[in-house]
Amino acid sequence: MLLSLDKTDTRPLHEQVAGAVRRAIAEGECAPGDRLPSARDLSEALDINVNTVLRALRELRDEGLLEFRRGRGVTVAEGARPHSELQIRVQGLVAEAARLGYSRTDLIDIIRGLP
Amino acid sequence: MKDTTVARRTTAAVWTLGVTAVLTGLPLVVRDRLPDRLATHWGLDGDVPNGSMPLWAASLVPALIWLVTSAVVTAPLMRAGPTAGPSWSTVTLLPTGIVLAGAQAAVVRANLDRADWHEARQPASWVVAILTAAVLAGAVGWLLVTRRRGASGGGTTSAGDAAALDIPEGRRLVWFSRTVNPWLQLLAAVTGLAAVAALVARVGGLAESGSLWALFAGCAAASLLSVLFSSVQARVSERGLEVSFGPFGWPGRRWAPGDIDTARAEYRRPAEVGGWGYRISGLGTTVMLRAGECLVVRPRGRRTDFAVSVDDAERGAALLNSLRGGRPRR
Repeated sequence: MLLSLDKTDTRPLHEQVAGAVRRAIAEGECAPGDRLPSARDLSEALDINVNTVLRALRELRDEGLLEFRRGRGVTVAEGARPHSELQIRVQGLVAEAARLGYSRTDLIDIIRGLP
Repeated sequence: MKDTTVARRTTAAVWTLGVTAVLTGLPLVVRDRLPDRLATHWGLDGDVPNGSMPLWAASLVPALIWLVTSAVVTAPLMRAGPTAGPSWSTVTLLPTGIVLAGAQAAVVRANLDRADWHEARQPASWVVAILTAAVLAGAVGWLLVTRRRGASGGGTTSAGDAAALDIPEGRRLVWFSRTVNPWLQLLAAVTGLAAVAALVARVGGLAESGSLWALFAGCAAASLLSVLFSSVQARVSERGLEVSFGPFGWPGRRWAPGDIDTARAEYRRPAEVGGWGYRISGLGTTVMLRAGECLVVRPRGRRTDFAVSVDDAERGAALLNSLRGGRPRR
């Protein structure tokens, strides 16, 4: 699998790593059931602290994209691909709304108001 | 390219048939001067033979071993096109043929003019001479192969097939790939169990200890080796190419981007590199876990390649090439 990080990105590193893995899943770089490289491997290759990588992986697990299994490492969860695509679009929406001056609460209100 | 393939096939066929003729013919030619059964095996301590075969078996068994070896080794040469280039068959067939033919000659020589196979004596100097000849033949074959590859491979491996990946400005790309061979894992588990069983039997005093220790040592070593080479991880990052083996990621090898001349993807089969696991052949070093795509790199200043069988090798090679190109050469 190919992971890509933007060196000029100013977001916190753990968000960037989570974003890179999310994008890899959305683009089919890794399929459900595939084993992810270990956190140590990721941290060495990306030159990022291992705890930061672990934090990113935990976020993705909480989103339901990854599964942590004892003895089998971190694997991509079943049905993670459409899930990660949706996640990416929601994040884009939140960013776009913030640019236009809407807070997250405003956004939630808009969504609630939808028919 | 094509004419050398035909020439190589002919050479392999002639060598195979010639050695077969020597192996079967030698005992038959002098059968009047040989005993009914031939001594074919001697213990390590030397003098008294501890194994024998009837004349026909002594004539056929080495020939069969030879034919099977030769068939396995030359199968890719006969089947595949010229690009497969299994020139390493020279390295295998030359010494193997010499060892078998030499052993057959030694057996015949030892049994010559003996009334009974128990009287046959194996001259130790023969063994030394045969092994020396085989090692020399292997070395010569190796030199021939590497020189031939060095001459023919120099042009093709440079820039032609070494694609590079476009790295957008300000992006950091890393590539991971991992291959697992479940059969090697199974083999590791089975031999591991056998080792434990042997150890338990030894501790429990179920059988005599010498053979059990040997069994334990053999199985434990086999299990350890198969578990180490049952999986392989390759990763390409700004640190270069890193290949690590087994569940612990150890041992491993690493090349900085500047230490690599070219990287490419290639289709290889276990039969071409001499089997599964960590293989050294005429194609260089190959970490072979399954037939298929391999990431092949030529380390700087080396005349042989390092290859590892991983999926998606093409992009890995491309990324490695662009990382290599993007850096100032030291």
